[in-house]
Amino acid sequence: MGHRRMAEGGTTRREFLARAALMALSASSVGPARAAAAQAPRRGGTMVVTGHQEISSLSPDDAGPTVHWTAVTQIHNALLELDENYALVPTLAQSYTASPDGLSYTFKLRRGVKFHDGTEFTAEDVKYTYEWYMNPANHAINANNFKDVDAVQAVDRYTVRVRMKQPNAAFPAKGASTFIVPAAYHSRVGEKGYKSAPIGTGAFRLKEWKPAEHTLVQAFDQHFRGRPYLDFFRVDIVPEASVRAIGLQTGTSDSAVWPLLVEDNLRLAKDPNFTTFVTVTTGVNHFPINNKRPIFADKRVRQAMMHAINRQRLIDDIFKGTAVIATSHLSPAFKTYYEPNVTKYPYDPAKARALLDEAGWKPGSDGVREKDGVRLSFTCVTITGDQARRPEAEVAQQDLKAVGIEMKLAEAPVATITEKMHKGEMDASLFNWTYGGGGGDPDPSVTLRSNGGNNWSHYENPKVDSLIDAGLREPDPKKRRPIYSEIQKIVAEDVPFLYIMYWNWYTIFTKRIKGLPKSAFNGPQLYRKAYQWWIG
Amino acid sequence: MRRLHAPGAGLGAAVATRSTATSHRRSEAWRAWRRFTRYRPGVAGLIVVALIGLVAIFANVLAPYSPTAVHPSMRGAGPTLAHPLGYDHVGRDILSRLIYGSRIAIVVAVLATGIAVAIGVAIGTTAGYLGGRVDAVLSRITDALMAFPILVLLIALVAVLGPSLANVILVIGTTAWASYARVVRAEVLSLREQEFVLAARATGATDRRIIWRHLVPNVVGPVIVLATLSVGNIIILEAALSFLGLGVRPPTPDWGGMLADGRAFITIYPQIVIAPGAMIAITVLAFNLLGDGLRDALDPRQRD
Amino acid sequence: MWRYVATRLLQGAAVIFLVATATFLILRLTPGNPIDVLVGEAEVTPEQVAGIKQLWGLDRPWYEQYLTWLGNMARGNFGVSVIRTGVPVGTMLAQAAPVTITLNIAALVASVAIAIPVGILAGIRRYSALDYLGTVGATLGVALPSFWVSLMAIILFAVKLRWLPPFGLHSWSGYILPAAVLATEQTAVLTRMMRGSVASVLHQDYVRTGRAKGLPEAAVVLRHAVRNALLPVITVLGYRMAFLLSGTIIVETVFALPGIGRLLTDSVYHLDYQVVQAIALLLAVIVVVANIATDLVYALVDPRIRIG
Repeated sequence: MGHRRMAEGGTTRREFLARAALMALSASSVGPARAAAAQAPRRGGTMVVTGHQEISSLSPDDAGPTVHWTAVTQIHNALLELDENYALVPTLAQSYTASPDGLSYTFKLRRGVKFHDGTEFTAEDVKYTYEWYMNPANHAINANNFKDVDAVQAVDRYTVRVRMKQPNAAFPAKGASTFIVPAAYHSRVGEKGYKSAPIGTGAFRLKEWKPAEHTLVQAFDQHFRGRPYLDFFRVDIVPEASVRAIGLQTGTSDSAVWPLLVEDNLRLAKDPNFTTFVTVTTGVNHFPINNKRPIFADKRVRQAMMHAINRQRLIDDIFKGTAVIATSHLSPAFKTYYEPNVTKYPYDPAKARALLDEAGWKPGSDGVREKDGVRLSFTCVTITGDQARRPEAEVAQQDLKAVGIEMKLAEAPVATITEKMHKGEMDASLFNWTYGGGGGDPDPSVTLRSNGGNNWSHYENPKVDSLIDAGLREPDPKKRRPIYSEIQKIVAEDVPFLYIMYWNWYTIFTKRIKGLPKSAFNGPQLYRKAYQWWIG
Repeated sequence: MRRLHAPGAGLGAAVATRSTATSHRRSEAWRAWRRFTRYRPGVAGLIVVALIGLVAIFANVLAPYSPTAVHPSMRGAGPTLAHPLGYDHVGRDILSRLIYGSRIAIVVAVLATGIAVAIGVAIGTTAGYLGGRVDAVLSRITDALMAFPILVLLIALVAVLGPSLANVILVIGTTAWASYARVVRAEVLSLREQEFVLAARATGATDRRIIWRHLVPNVVGPVIVLATLSVGNIIILEAALSFLGLGVRPPTPDWGGMLADGRAFITIYPQIVIAPGAMIAITVLAFNLLGDGLRDALDPRQRD
Repeated sequence: MWRYVATRLLQGAAVIFLVATATFLILRLTPGNPIDVLVGEAEVTPEQVAGIKQLWGLDRPWYEQYLTWLGNMARGNFGVSVIRTGVPVGTMLAQAAPVTITLNIAALVASVAIAIPVGILAGIRRYSALDYLGTVGATLGVALPSFWVSLMAIILFAVKLRWLPPFGLHSWSGYILPAAVLATEQTAVLTRMMRGSVASVLHQDYVRTGRAKGLPEAAVVLRHAVRNALLPVITVLGYRMAFLLSGTIIVETVFALPGIGRLLTDSVYHLDYQVVQAIALLLAVIVVVANIATDLVYALVDPRIRIG
């Protein structure tokens, strides 16, 4: 009954690395907590955050959901890290340069950085980590971050050079932001031993790990940015959203890393006892639809469905206005690459009917349209117990019915949905997913390319394929932008899946947590800054 | 998940009339009815059950709105005169959904109980009467079902069959029979040593005849009681299935599904859960009281 | 007698084998796999996924996996969890079981302490105000959804009164609310069983004989009726072992307790095969042993049932 990886926010590590703020563009933190910012930092205390799902491993290579990442990020650092303003900031690297041809990256490392076991962080650790992930024998989930990497050289103790087989503009955001493990320790205990006893350069070191209960980390005195103010940081696993809200209300916890109910978010955002950051997700809430199914083959049918669904009403009625209508696969949160000038699909049932008529689908005796004896009917499978999205599907069902499309609803566990969608054995589903934007890079090759591993809708467009490839080969951001604009325009025209909305993401802290940034473009990334916070 | 409560206590007392003479049936039934009417709560239970049945039949006349109509911007809004129970988390009229939901509740309760009883009586009677190897095998199958983590079975069925009303009935019916089989077997074990069965056997009656003419009629009493007592549990089980995604398909309203949907919103929109929760509680209570009344009525040791 | 026990134990072993095999097959028949869940939203290629599947031996045909699993079981090895990337299932069970066991024992003690006296009184004074109150209370106890009771308890005792923590096990007081909620339902069921049992026993000959002998009513009730009425209640409690786990799932979820119930649901949803199989097996053993014990008690007490 808990929420699975795609449930609720649909955020996993990848999306996490790719969240940004829309509202934050102007202002961000709500509530009067700002006034207290002048107070002097104080040492001590335990900060408790709650997450929805067990932390099944502490290795940076295990792609857990946000909750997992929140703990892992306290323990580890990367050469470059995305911050809450969505900028890629050198962290374990002091600086880096890319060759103009995009074939090599040189990182100058920070000196005097200590791992939790007291050993010094050097270029060998970077080389070891990257090579470990790249080695096919290790079956690392992170391997794809190092796509197109040819070799990693430790030029000297504090310099690393990464040579590419061909340019891959996504490398800084993906490869270089992968967490570093200590070469000596990791090679001794192996990945298996490392999962439960990780050692990093992070501000906190592991104290206690009970996967389904809590993960406790303790301040690391020799952290390179200085010892954190907090003595302890703890992640408690609380599956029920309403109980997480109660935790905040009673002061049992200081923050929730996984969404509460919309109503609780809105209520706590107005409450002066809390500091709230409202940002927009980079993932898109959408109905993936299997383009290989004959009924979805005609673009006009997919466009008609976009016109048939009253998306603003969904946002207002089900999400209390805490979302933005989607314009394509990429969210406005990803401001550098977002393209607003695309084909739009305002709510227009008449237009939907006209498009369906044009495509040859005529109303049958029961109101459901038919063509050559086939009914315009399909099944949308939502995630079991998905309290946030099922009502959305139920309202969309009514909208589609009004134009003569029958959408039946069913539920299944996540493990079933992902496999059946991959195999093309399911008509449609409903979840949130990041289509490009992972790690701060707009590359959607996994989700929109015809051979993409997570191309849920089985979308195939050779034009899009070649644009995706061109975007990766182009190191210059200025020249990349038009490429990704073009992709967004084609997607908006093709409608490979029914993109509905971009959710607002609420990151809420109790007022006793001090030292929070003034504003944030990206809520979840805030937790990287726990080393700057204190309890007031 | 709610559990089916294992019935059985007090059933020894509910053994039906052992008479096989048809001439006595009518007066026996009349006396049972008089005993039944003497227990007021049982009568109240019967009336409530009948009322719910009527609501289910005339749902389309009684419901003020369509149960699937979404009223814009009314998510979770509280009660008004026009919508006395308020709106659910999608903005639908709760009262109308509740009224239509009674149909599913009654259909599931009656049919699923019917299937469970049929299987349970068949297996229990066969096991109890034939005894020996047959009994051992059937009893172990019953054990295996009770020992099986139903959750695993249900989730697998969700994934394989997909949810539908028929599947809900089928799943509940085929997983809930074990307790009936146990009770019936125990009854038959003692019945088969009774004089009238021994007499029948002595006159050369076949096993099939003995089972159908002498044993089955005599376990009907306890089974009816058990069935009314566990109808409530079946309604609750149906609610549990909704949690697992094996509920009736939306937008068809059913109490279990409404309850499951409302879970997340308890602290914010309590009415979503309270309305179906109260209906389930009332229905379960009514069936239980009816069952108590029947137990007293069918217990021959109760004095007139 | 001993032959009977030996036979039942053998049959019990067969039942356990049946349950274990059925669980295995049903899980493999369920579409989906844990690797997709493991990978989550990470950007991986289909080749990578295939490689990870191979790593966990999930690419092999089901009968090979079945034989490997049987072999492991025979050596007392429960296997490893895919979702927790290699943690032995035995370790996971050892972490989760104490929580569930503590919860159930606390709830059982509380419910027996309440249900037995209330049930006896309701059974003796049938159709009295107390009886009706008991019936209504018991029905509510069964019919009220436990997630509702749980949240109401949290709101009352943790939010309003601030007596107890809303969730978690950072102190022993974390057990109080969930055990109380679990006991509510258990109490309801037990009260009804006790009432019915006492009511029927009161009509038995030995009770009437006791009365006829002129024993005081209290003595009749306590010495004869209650003792005999308890037996079916105890045996039914034995059968209820099968439902032990399912009752704690919701409570463990709402109160954020890391018990077996939550482990089972999470593992089923994620298709973490080895974990589900181990829990199913363990549960089957508990239920089979409880059933045999219950049948023995039945047989010893009820002369109508012959064994052997």
